Amino acid sequence: MRTGTKDLPSVICIEGLKKSFGKNNVLNGLNLDLKEGENVVVLGKSGSGKSVLIKCIIGLMDLDSGNIQVFGEDVPRFSPSDLDKMRTKVGFLFQSNALYDSMTVRENLEFPLRRHWIKITKKEIDDMVTEALTSVGLAETIDMMPSELSGGMKKRIALARTLILKPKIILYDEPTTGLDPITAKEISKLMVEIQKKYNTSSIIISHDLNCVKITSNRIIMLIDGICYATGTYAELSMSTDERIKQFFD
Amino acid sequence: MKSTAVRLFLVETGNLYRFAVRFFREGFKPHYEISEFIRQCFYIGNRTLPLVAITGFIIGLVITIQSHPSMEAFGAESWLPSVVSVSLVREIVPVITALICAGKIGSGIGAELGSMKVTEQIDAMEVSGTNPFKYLVVTRVFAAMLMLPLLIILSDTIALYGAYLGVNMKQVVSFHLFTNQIFEKLTFGDVLPSIAKAVFFGFAIGLIGCYKGYHTKNGTQGVGMAANSAVVAAIFVVFIIDLVAAQIADIFHIT
Repeated sequence: MRTGTKDLPSVICIEGLKKSFGKNNVLNGLNLDLKEGENVVVLGKSGSGKSVLIKCIIGLMDLDSGNIQVFGEDVPRFSPSDLDKMRTKVGFLFQSNALYDSMTVRENLEFPLRRHWIKITKKEIDDMVTEALTSVGLAETIDMMPSELSGGMKKRIALARTLILKPKIILYDEPTTGLDPITAKEISKLMVEIQKKYNTSSIIISHDLNCVKITSNRIIMLIDGICYATGTYAELSMSTDERIKQFFD
Repeated sequence: MKSTAVRLFLVETGNLYRFAVRFFREGFKPHYEISEFIRQCFYIGNRTLPLVAITGFIIGLVITIQSHPSMEAFGAESWLPSVVSVSLVREIVPVITALICAGKIGSGIGAELGSMKVTEQIDAMEVSGTNPFKYLVVTRVFAAMLMLPLLIILSDTIALYGAYLGVNMKQVVSFHLFTNQIFEKLTFGDVLPSIAKAVFFGFAIGLIGCYKGYHTKNGTQGVGMAANSAVVAAIFVVFIIDLVAAQIADIFHIT
Protein backbone atom coordinates (compact mmCIF):
# COMPACT_ATOMS: atom_id res chain seq x y z
CA MET A 1 0.00 0.00 0.00
CA ARG A 2 1.17 3.45 -0.88
CA THR A 3 1.81 5.76 2.02
CA GLY A 4 3.48 9.11 2.49
CA THR A 5 0.89 11.24 0.72
CA LYS A 6 1.30 14.20 3.09
CA ASP A 7 2.94 16.48 0.54
CA LEU A 8 0.50 15.77 -2.26
CA PRO A 9 -2.26 18.30 -3.03
CA SER A 10 -5.77 17.78 -1.61
CA VAL A 11 -8.45 16.82 -4.11
CA ILE A 12 -11.27 16.86 -1.56
CA CYS A 13 -11.27 19.05 1.52
CA ILE A 14 -14.19 18.96 3.96
CA GLU A 15 -14.48 21.39 6.85
CA GLY A 16 -17.07 21.35 9.65
CA LEU A 17 -19.63 19.35 7.68
CA LYS A 18 -23.00 19.15 9.45
CA LYS A 19 -26.03 17.25 8.26
CA SER A 20 -29.14 16.27 10.17
CA PHE A 21 -32.43 14.57 9.38
CA GLY A 22 -35.06 16.06 11.67
CA LYS A 23 -33.69 15.78 15.18
CA ASN A 24 -31.11 13.18 14.19
CA ASN A 25 -27.71 14.87 13.80
CA VAL A 26 -25.84 12.53 11.50
CA LEU A 27 -22.73 14.57 10.76
CA ASN A 28 -21.54 16.94 13.49
CA GLY A 29 -18.79 19.05 12.02
CA LEU A 30 -16.77 16.47 10.14
CA ASN A 31 -13.35 17.35 8.71
CA LEU A 32 -11.74 15.26 5.99
CA ASP A 33 -8.88 15.70 3.57
CA LEU A 34 -8.30 13.43 0.57
CA LYS A 35 -4.92 13.70 -1.11
CA GLU A 36 -4.20 13.01 -4.75
CA GLY A 37 -3.75 9.30 -5.42
CA GLU A 38 -4.87 8.33 -1.92
CA ASN A 39 -7.46 5.72 -0.93
CA VAL A 40 -9.29 6.71 2.26
CA VAL A 41 -11.68 4.26 3.86
CA VAL A 42 -14.45 5.64 6.06
CA LEU A 43 -15.35 3.14 8.75
CA GLY A 44 -18.34 3.54 11.03
CA LYS A 45 -21.48 1.87 12.36
CA SER A 46 -24.63 1.58 10.24
CA GLY A 47 -26.49 4.87 10.30
CA SER A 48 -23.39 6.83 11.27
CA GLY A 49 -23.64 8.97 8.12
CA LYS A 50 -20.98 7.39 5.90
CA SER A 51 -23.16 7.24 2.80
CA VAL A 52 -24.57 10.69 3.61
CA LEU A 53 -21.00 12.00 3.57
CA ILE A 54 -20.23 10.85 0.02
CA LYS A 55 -23.68 11.87 -1.22
CA CYS A 56 -22.96 15.38 0.07
CA ILE A 57 -19.63 15.36 -1.77
CA ILE A 58 -21.23 14.42 -5.10
CA GLY A 59 -24.07 16.91 -4.58
CA LEU A 60 -26.89 14.37 -4.22
CA MET A 61 -27.66 15.80 -0.77
CA ASP A 62 -27.44 19.36 0.50
CA LEU A 63 -25.38 20.00 3.61
CA ASP A 64 -26.72 22.00 6.57
CA SER A 65 -23.44 23.83 7.26
CA GLY A 66 -19.72 23.56 6.70
CA ASN A 67 -17.95 23.34 3.38
CA ILE A 68 -16.86 20.77 0.82
CA GLN A 69 -14.18 21.61 -1.71
CA VAL A 70 -13.52 19.39 -4.70
CA PHE A 71 -10.41 20.36 -6.66
CA GLY A 72 -10.42 23.64 -4.73
CA GLU A 73 -14.01 24.62 -5.65
CA ASP A 74 -16.88 24.92 -3.18
CA VAL A 75 -19.52 22.28 -3.93
CA PRO A 76 -22.38 24.03 -2.02
CA ARG A 77 -22.03 27.03 -4.35
CA PHE A 78 -22.21 24.95 -7.53
CA SER A 79 -24.99 25.59 -10.04
CA PRO A 80 -26.55 22.47 -11.64
CA SER A 81 -24.22 22.83 -14.64
CA ASP A 82 -21.18 23.20 -12.34
CA LEU A 83 -22.30 20.03 -10.56
CA ASP A 84 -22.50 18.22 -13.90
CA LYS A 85 -18.98 19.34 -14.77
CA MET A 86 -17.70 18.22 -11.37
CA ARG A 87 -19.40 14.84 -11.79
CA THR A 88 -17.34 14.11 -14.91
CA LYS A 89 -14.29 14.17 -12.63
CA VAL A 90 -15.86 12.39 -9.65
CA GLY A 91 -17.28 8.89 -10.13
CA PHE A 92 -19.73 7.25 -7.75
CA LEU A 93 -20.20 3.51 -7.25
CA PHE A 94 -23.59 2.89 -5.66
CA GLN A 95 -24.11 0.26 -3.00
CA SER A 96 -26.94 -1.29 -5.03
CA ASN A 97 -24.93 -0.87 -8.29
CA ALA A 98 -27.83 1.19 -9.69
CA LEU A 99 -27.53 -0.35 -13.16
CA TYR A 100 -30.41 0.72 -15.40
CA ASP A 101 -32.30 -2.55 -15.62
CA SER A 102 -34.15 -1.60 -18.81
CA MET A 103 -30.84 -1.12 -20.67
CA THR A 104 -28.15 -3.54 -21.83
CA VAL A 105 -24.64 -3.38 -20.39
CA ARG A 106 -23.52 -1.41 -23.46
CA GLU A 107 -26.36 1.13 -23.04
CA ASN A 108 -25.61 1.42 -19.32
CA LEU A 109 -22.02 2.37 -20.11
CA GLU A 110 -22.95 4.64 -22.99
CA PHE A 111 -25.47 6.58 -20.92
CA PRO A 112 -23.04 8.80 -18.93
CA LEU A 113 -20.90 9.31 -22.05
CA ARG A 114 -23.81 10.51 -24.14
CA ARG A 115 -25.09 12.76 -21.36
CA HIS A 116 -21.79 14.39 -20.43
CA TRP A 117 -20.00 14.47 -23.77
CA ILE A 118 -22.64 15.25 -26.30
CA LYS A 119 -20.15 15.74 -29.16
CA ILE A 120 -18.62 12.28 -29.33
CA THR A 121 -18.51 9.89 -32.26
CA LYS A 122 -19.99 6.40 -32.27
CA LYS A 123 -16.51 4.94 -32.77
CA GLU A 124 -15.14 6.80 -29.74
CA ILE A 125 -18.08 5.61 -27.63
CA ASP A 126 -17.55 1.98 -28.73
CA ASP A 127 -13.83 2.20 -27.95
CA MET A 128 -14.42 3.67 -24.50
CA VAL A 129 -17.10 1.09 -23.65
CA THR A 130 -14.80 -1.74 -24.73
CA GLU A 131 -11.88 -0.30 -22.75
CA ALA A 132 -13.97 0.11 -19.58
CA LEU A 133 -15.38 -3.42 -19.85
CA THR A 134 -11.96 -4.88 -20.53
CA SER A 135 -10.51 -3.13 -17.49
CA VAL A 136 -13.04 -4.93 -15.27
CA GLY A 137 -12.59 -8.20 -17.21
CA LEU A 138 -16.13 -8.46 -18.56
CA ALA A 139 -15.89 -7.55 -22.26
CA GLU A 140 -18.08 -10.52 -23.20
CA THR A 141 -21.13 -9.20 -21.31
CA ILE A 142 -21.55 -6.14 -23.55
CA ASP A 143 -24.96 -7.12 -24.95
CA MET A 144 -26.36 -8.73 -21.82
CA MET A 145 -29.07 -7.30 -19.59
CA PRO A 146 -28.24 -6.56 -15.92
CA SER A 147 -30.75 -9.23 -14.84
CA GLU A 148 -28.58 -11.87 -16.56
CA LEU A 149 -25.51 -11.00 -14.47
CA SER A 150 -24.37 -12.30 -11.09
CA GLY A 151 -23.89 -9.96 -8.10
CA GLY A 152 -20.13 -9.75 -8.63
CA MET A 153 -20.54 -9.11 -12.37
CA LYS A 154 -23.06 -6.35 -11.69
CA LYS A 155 -20.58 -4.72 -9.33
CA ARG A 156 -17.85 -4.88 -11.98
CA ILE A 157 -20.16 -3.42 -14.64
CA ALA A 158 -21.16 -0.63 -12.24
CA LEU A 159 -17.46 0.00 -11.69
CA ALA A 160 -16.89 0.08 -15.45
CA ARG A 161 -19.69 2.63 -15.78
CA THR A 162 -18.06 4.73 -13.08
CA LEU A 163 -14.70 4.46 -14.84
CA ILE A 164 -15.88 5.27 -18.32
CA LEU A 165 -15.66 9.02 -17.80
CA LYS A 166 -12.10 8.55 -16.50
CA PRO A 167 -12.78 10.26 -13.18
CA LYS A 168 -9.98 11.61 -11.00
CA ILE A 169 -11.84 10.69 -7.82
CA ILE A 170 -14.05 7.66 -7.17
CA LEU A 171 -16.50 7.45 -4.28
CA TYR A 172 -17.34 3.86 -3.37
CA ASP A 173 -20.47 3.20 -1.30
CA GLU A 174 -19.98 -0.19 0.35
CA PRO A 175 -18.50 -1.86 -2.75
CA THR A 176 -18.35 -5.40 -1.32
CA THR A 177 -21.68 -5.54 0.51
CA GLY A 178 -23.74 -8.58 -0.48
CA LEU A 179 -20.86 -10.36 -2.17
CA ASP A 180 -19.29 -13.64 -1.16
CA PRO A 181 -15.77 -13.37 0.40
CA ILE A 182 -13.97 -14.49 -2.77
CA THR A 183 -15.79 -12.05 -5.05
CA ALA A 184 -15.43 -9.30 -2.43
CA LYS A 185 -11.67 -9.86 -2.41
CA GLU A 186 -11.59 -9.74 -6.23
CA ILE A 187 -13.49 -6.45 -6.25
CA SER A 188 -11.18 -5.01 -3.58
CA LYS A 189 -8.10 -5.96 -5.64
CA LEU A 190 -9.72 -4.51 -8.74
CA MET A 191 -10.24 -1.20 -6.91
CA VAL A 192 -6.52 -1.08 -6.09
CA GLU A 193 -5.61 -1.97 -9.70
CA ILE A 194 -7.83 0.83 -10.94
CA GLN A 195 -6.20 3.28 -8.55
CA LYS A 196 -2.78 2.32 -9.88
CA LYS A 197 -3.79 2.25 -13.55
CA TYR A 198 -5.72 5.53 -13.64
CA ASN A 199 -4.06 7.27 -10.67
CA THR A 200 -7.42 7.94 -9.02
CA SER A 201 -8.11 9.06 -5.47
CA SER A 202 -10.92 7.33 -3.62
CA ILE A 203 -13.17 7.54 -0.60
CA ILE A 204 -14.41 4.08 0.23
CA ILE A 205 -17.29 3.40 2.58
CA SER A 206 -16.99 -0.12 3.89
CA HIS A 207 -17.71 -2.47 6.77
CA ASP A 208 -15.73 -5.28 5.24
CA LEU A 209 -12.39 -5.48 7.07
CA ASN A 210 -10.78 -7.50 4.27
CA CYS A 211 -11.73 -4.81 1.79
CA VAL A 212 -10.50 -2.12 4.20
CA LYS A 213 -7.17 -3.91 4.61
CA ILE A 214 -6.63 -4.37 0.85
CA THR A 215 -7.76 -0.96 -0.35
CA SER A 216 -6.93 1.60 2.34
CA ASN A 217 -3.98 3.98 2.51
CA ARG A 218 -5.66 5.62 5.45
CA ILE A 219 -8.77 4.91 7.54
CA ILE A 220 -11.12 7.43 9.09
CA MET A 221 -13.29 6.29 11.99
CA LEU A 222 -16.63 8.08 11.78
CA ILE A 223 -18.13 8.08 15.27
CA ASP A 224 -20.76 10.50 16.61
CA GLY A 225 -20.72 12.37 13.30
CA ILE A 226 -17.06 13.39 13.52
CA CYS A 227 -13.72 11.99 12.49
CA TYR A 228 -12.98 10.17 15.77
CA ALA A 229 -9.64 8.73 14.71
CA THR A 230 -7.49 8.40 11.64
CA GLY A 231 -4.55 6.22 10.74
CA THR A 232 -3.42 3.26 8.68
CA TYR A 233 -5.00 -0.17 9.07
CA ALA A 234 -2.02 -1.35 11.11
CA GLU A 235 -2.17 1.65 13.45
CA LEU A 236 -5.91 1.49 14.11
CA SER A 237 -6.07 -2.28 14.47
CA MET A 238 -3.49 -2.00 17.29
CA SER A 239 -5.44 0.77 19.04
CA THR A 240 -6.37 0.31 22.69
CA ASP A 241 -9.37 2.65 22.43
CA GLU A 242 -12.49 0.53 23.05
CA ARG A 243 -14.57 2.34 20.44
CA ILE A 244 -11.96 1.66 17.76
CA LYS A 245 -11.12 -1.84 18.92
CA GLN A 246 -14.72 -3.04 18.52
CA PHE A 247 -14.43 -2.64 14.72
CA PHE A 248 -11.30 -4.76 14.47
CA ASP A 249 -12.12 -7.50 16.99
CA MET B 1 -57.15 9.89 13.97
CA LYS B 2 -59.48 11.65 11.55
CA SER B 3 -57.52 14.89 11.71
CA THR B 4 -54.28 13.02 10.96
CA ALA B 5 -55.81 11.51 7.84
CA VAL B 6 -57.05 14.93 6.72
CA ARG B 7 -53.65 16.44 7.41
CA LEU B 8 -51.92 13.68 5.43
CA PHE B 9 -54.32 14.19 2.53
CA LEU B 10 -53.65 17.95 2.53
CA VAL B 11 -49.88 17.46 2.74
CA GLU B 12 -50.01 14.97 -0.14
CA THR B 13 -52.17 17.33 -2.22
CA GLY B 14 -49.74 20.19 -1.53
CA ASN B 15 -46.76 18.04 -2.53
CA LEU B 16 -48.51 16.91 -5.69
CA TYR B 17 -49.24 20.56 -6.53
CA ARG B 18 -45.56 21.43 -6.06
CA PHE B 19 -44.63 18.46 -8.25
CA ALA B 20 -46.99 19.76 -10.95
CA VAL B 21 -45.48 23.25 -10.73
CA ARG B 22 -42.02 21.74 -11.14
CA PHE B 23 -43.29 19.80 -14.16
CA PHE B 24 -44.41 23.02 -15.88
CA ARG B 25 -41.21 24.81 -14.91
CA GLU B 26 -38.92 22.06 -16.22
CA GLY B 27 -41.13 20.80 -19.03
CA PHE B 28 -40.84 23.85 -21.26
CA LYS B 29 -37.20 24.63 -20.56
CA PRO B 30 -34.54 23.27 -22.99
CA HIS B 31 -32.97 20.85 -23.44
CA TYR B 32 -35.77 18.49 -24.48
CA GLU B 33 -35.53 14.73 -24.12
CA ILE B 34 -37.13 14.03 -27.51
CA SER B 35 -35.93 10.45 -28.00
CA GLU B 36 -37.08 9.40 -24.52
CA PHE B 37 -40.43 11.13 -25.13
CA ILE B 38 -40.93 9.16 -28.37
CA ARG B 39 -39.94 5.94 -26.60
CA GLN B 40 -42.48 6.63 -23.85
CA CYS B 41 -45.21 7.43 -26.41
CA PHE B 42 -44.52 4.05 -28.01
CA TYR B 43 -44.56 2.22 -24.66
CA ILE B 44 -47.72 3.92 -23.41
CA GLY B 45 -49.54 3.42 -26.71
CA ASN B 46 -48.27 -0.08 -27.25
CA ARG B 47 -48.95 -1.20 -23.68
CA THR B 48 -52.59 -0.13 -23.67
CA LEU B 49 -53.64 -0.43 -27.30
CA PRO B 50 -54.96 -4.03 -27.28
CA LEU B 51 -56.80 -3.58 -23.98
CA VAL B 52 -58.34 -0.27 -25.04
CA ALA B 53 -59.38 -1.70 -28.42
CA ILE B 54 -61.06 -4.79 -26.97
CA THR B 55 -62.78 -2.81 -24.21
CA GLY B 56 -63.99 -0.18 -26.69
CA PHE B 57 -65.50 -2.87 -28.89
CA ILE B 58 -67.26 -4.58 -25.98
CA ILE B 59 -68.61 -1.30 -24.57
CA GLY B 60 -70.03 -0.27 -27.94
CA LEU B 61 -71.67 -3.65 -28.40
CA VAL B 62 -73.05 -3.94 -24.84
CA ILE B 63 -74.39 -0.38 -24.61
CA THR B 64 -76.24 -0.87 -27.91
CA ILE B 65 -77.69 -4.24 -26.92
CA GLN B 66 -78.82 -2.87 -23.53
CA SER B 67 -80.27 0.35 -24.97
CA HIS B 68 -82.25 -1.46 -27.66
CA PRO B 69 -85.25 -2.63 -25.52
CA SER B 70 -85.81 0.84 -24.00
CA MET B 71 -85.60 2.55 -27.37
CA GLU B 72 -87.94 -0.07 -28.84
CA ALA B 73 -90.46 0.53 -26.03
CA PHE B 74 -90.64 4.20 -26.99
CA GLY B 75 -90.80 3.41 -30.69
CA ALA B 76 -87.50 5.17 -31.18
CA GLU B 77 -85.48 2.26 -32.55
CA SER B 78 -84.25 4.29 -35.48
CA TRP B 79 -82.64 6.73 -33.03
CA LEU B 80 -80.50 4.01 -31.53
CA PRO B 81 -77.27 4.70 -33.53
CA SER B 82 -77.31 8.43 -32.84
CA VAL B 83 -78.21 8.13 -29.13
CA VAL B 84 -75.63 5.41 -28.51
CA SER B 85 -72.90 7.22 -30.47
CA VAL B 86 -73.37 10.47 -28.55
CA SER B 87 -73.22 8.75 -25.16
CA LEU B 88 -70.23 6.66 -26.23
CA VAL B 89 -68.18 9.51 -27.67
CA ARG B 90 -69.03 12.16 -25.08
CA GLU B 91 -68.76 10.16 -21.90
CA ILE B 92 -68.51 6.40 -21.76
CA VAL B 93 -65.50 5.72 -23.97
CA PRO B 94 -63.29 8.58 -22.67
CA VAL B 95 -63.93 7.68 -19.04
CA ILE B 96 -63.57 3.92 -19.46
CA THR B 97 -60.40 4.37 -21.53
CA ALA B 98 -59.00 6.74 -18.91
CA LEU B 99 -59.76 4.20 -16.17
CA ILE B 100 -58.00 1.46 -18.11
CA CYS B 101 -55.03 3.76 -18.67
CA ALA B 102 -55.01 4.73 -14.99
CA GLY B 103 -54.66 1.03 -14.16
CA LYS B 104 -52.21 0.13 -16.89
CA ILE B 105 -50.11 3.27 -17.34
CA GLY B 106 -50.40 4.73 -13.81
CA SER B 107 -49.35 1.53 -12.12
CA GLY B 108 -46.62 0.90 -14.71
CA ILE B 109 -45.06 4.33 -14.25
CA GLY B 110 -45.46 4.20 -10.45
CA ALA B 111 -43.77 0.79 -10.22
CA GLU B 112 -41.02 1.61 -12.74
CA LEU B 113 -39.99 4.90 -11.14
CA GLY B 114 -40.49 3.44 -7.66
CA SER B 115 -38.11 0.60 -8.36
CA MET B 116 -35.63 3.02 -9.95
CA LYS B 117 -35.84 5.14 -6.81
CA VAL B 118 -35.21 2.32 -4.32
CA THR B 119 -32.35 0.87 -6.37
CA GLU B 120 -30.70 4.31 -6.61
CA GLN B 121 -31.04 4.40 -10.42
CA ILE B 122 -32.50 7.92 -10.21
CA ASP B 123 -29.45 9.09 -8.22
CA ALA B 124 -27.18 7.33 -10.72
CA MET B 125 -28.90 9.23 -13.51
CA GLU B 126 -28.25 12.51 -11.74
CA VAL B 127 -24.59 11.60 -11.24
CA SER B 128 -24.43 10.78 -14.97
CA GLY B 129 -25.22 14.39 -15.86
CA THR B 130 -28.93 13.88 -16.47
CA ASN B 131 -31.77 15.79 -14.89
CA PRO B 132 -33.88 12.79 -13.83
CA PHE B 133 -37.01 14.90 -13.48
CA LYS B 134 -36.79 15.98 -17.10
CA TYR B 135 -35.75 12.57 -18.37
CA LEU B 136 -38.22 10.46 -16.39
CA VAL B 137 -41.15 12.66 -15.36
CA VAL B 138 -41.55 15.29 -18.07
CA THR B 139 -41.29 12.76 -20.91
CA ARG B 140 -43.79 10.36 -19.34
CA VAL B 141 -46.38 13.02 -18.50
CA PHE B 142 -46.20 14.59 -21.98
CA ALA B 143 -46.39 11.14 -23.56
CA ALA B 144 -49.51 10.32 -21.53
CA MET B 145 -51.04 13.69 -22.50
CA LEU B 146 -50.48 12.93 -26.18
CA MET B 147 -51.38 9.25 -26.20
CA LEU B 148 -54.60 9.39 -24.14
CA PRO B 149 -56.52 11.45 -26.75
CA LEU B 150 -55.21 9.20 -29.54
CA LEU B 151 -56.22 6.07 -27.64
CA ILE B 152 -59.64 7.56 -26.98
CA ILE B 153 -60.15 8.43 -30.67
CA LEU B 154 -59.20 4.87 -31.57
CA SER B 155 -61.44 3.45 -28.87
CA ASP B 156 -64.33 5.68 -30.03
CA THR B 157 -63.99 4.31 -33.56
CA ILE B 158 -63.90 0.70 -32.41
CA ALA B 159 -66.80 1.27 -29.98
CA LEU B 160 -68.89 2.71 -32.81
CA TYR B 161 -68.13 -0.35 -34.91
CA GLY B 162 -69.21 -2.47 -31.92
CA ALA B 163 -72.40 -0.42 -31.79
CA TYR B 164 -72.97 -1.07 -35.51
CA LEU B 165 -72.75 -4.82 -34.89
CA GLY B 166 -75.03 -4.43 -31.83
CA VAL B 167 -77.69 -2.64 -33.90
CA ASN B 168 -77.46 -5.34 -36.56
CA MET B 169 -78.15 -8.09 -34.05
CA LYS B 170 -81.81 -7.03 -33.84
CA GLN B 171 -82.38 -5.34 -37.17
CA VAL B 172 -80.65 -4.87 -40.48
CA VAL B 173 -79.00 -1.50 -40.90
CA SER B 174 -76.44 -0.84 -43.62
CA PHE B 175 -73.08 0.59 -42.59
CA HIS B 176 -73.77 3.62 -44.77
CA LEU B 177 -77.10 4.35 -43.05
CA PHE B 178 -75.60 3.72 -39.62
CA THR B 179 -72.78 6.24 -40.18
CA ASN B 180 -75.22 8.75 -41.65
CA GLN B 181 -77.39 8.49 -38.54
CA ILE B 182 -74.34 8.90 -36.31
CA PHE B 183 -72.99 12.00 -38.04
CA GLU B 184 -76.44 13.54 -38.21
CA LYS B 185 -76.43 13.92 -34.42
CA LEU B 186 -72.78 13.72 -33.49
CA THR B 187 -71.27 17.20 -33.75
CA PHE B 188 -67.87 18.74 -33.27
CA GLY B 189 -69.17 19.97 -29.90
CA ASP B 190 -69.50 16.34 -28.80
CA VAL B 191 -66.02 15.30 -29.87
CA LEU B 192 -64.05 18.37 -28.75
CA PRO B 193 -64.81 18.19 -24.98
CA SER B 194 -64.03 14.48 -25.01
CA ILE B 195 -60.62 15.08 -26.63
CA ALA B 196 -59.91 18.08 -24.38
CA LYS B 197 -60.65 16.17 -21.20
CA ALA B 198 -58.55 13.26 -22.51
CA VAL B 199 -55.53 15.57 -22.44
CA PHE B 200 -56.25 16.35 -18.78
CA PHE B 201 -56.84 12.65 -18.02
CA GLY B 202 -53.42 11.93 -19.53
CA PHE B 203 -51.83 14.71 -17.51
CA ALA B 204 -53.37 13.46 -14.25
CA ILE B 205 -52.52 9.79 -14.87
CA GLY B 206 -48.93 10.54 -15.91
CA LEU B 207 -48.30 13.06 -13.18
CA ILE B 208 -49.74 10.96 -10.34
CA GLY B 209 -47.89 7.84 -11.52
CA CYS B 210 -44.62 9.77 -11.67
CA TYR B 211 -45.23 11.53 -8.34
CA LYS B 212 -45.93 8.28 -6.50
CA GLY B 213 -42.98 6.50 -8.10
CA TYR B 214 -40.57 9.40 -7.66
CA HIS B 215 -41.30 9.60 -3.93
CA THR B 216 -41.23 5.89 -3.14
CA LYS B 217 -39.87 4.94 0.27
CA ASN B 218 -39.41 1.73 2.25
CA GLY B 219 -37.77 -0.48 -0.39
CA THR B 220 -39.64 -3.06 -2.44
CA GLN B 221 -42.73 -2.84 -0.23
CA GLY B 222 -42.85 0.86 -1.10
CA VAL B 223 -42.77 0.05 -4.83
CA GLY B 224 -45.97 -1.99 -4.53
CA MET B 225 -47.59 0.74 -2.48
CA ALA B 226 -46.53 3.40 -5.01
CA ALA B 227 -48.06 1.45 -7.90
CA ASN B 228 -51.23 0.78 -5.96
CA SER B 229 -51.74 4.32 -4.69
CA ALA B 230 -50.95 5.73 -8.15
CA VAL B 231 -53.88 3.76 -9.59
CA VAL B 232 -56.30 4.67 -6.79
CA ALA B 233 -55.41 8.38 -6.87
CA ALA B 234 -55.46 8.54 -10.69
CA ILE B 235 -58.94 6.92 -10.87
CA PHE B 236 -60.23 9.37 -8.26
CA VAL B 237 -58.79 12.36 -10.15
CA VAL B 238 -60.17 11.07 -13.49
CA PHE B 239 -63.70 11.23 -12.04
CA ILE B 240 -63.08 14.72 -10.62
CA ILE B 241 -61.82 15.95 -14.01
CA ASP B 242 -64.84 14.36 -15.70
CA LEU B 243 -67.19 16.17 -13.31
CA VAL B 244 -65.44 19.52 -13.84
CA ALA B 245 -65.39 19.01 -17.62
CA ALA B 246 -69.13 18.26 -17.64
CA GLN B 247 -69.81 21.46 -15.67
CA ILE B 248 -67.61 23.57 -17.96
CA ALA B 249 -69.24 22.09 -21.08
CA ASP B 250 -72.63 22.88 -19.57
CA ILE B 251 -71.69 26.46 -18.64
CA PHE B 252 -70.34 27.20 -22.13
CA HIS B 253 -73.19 25.29 -23.82
CA ILE B 254 -70.79 22.96 -25.61
CA THR B 255 -73.47 20.46 -26.58
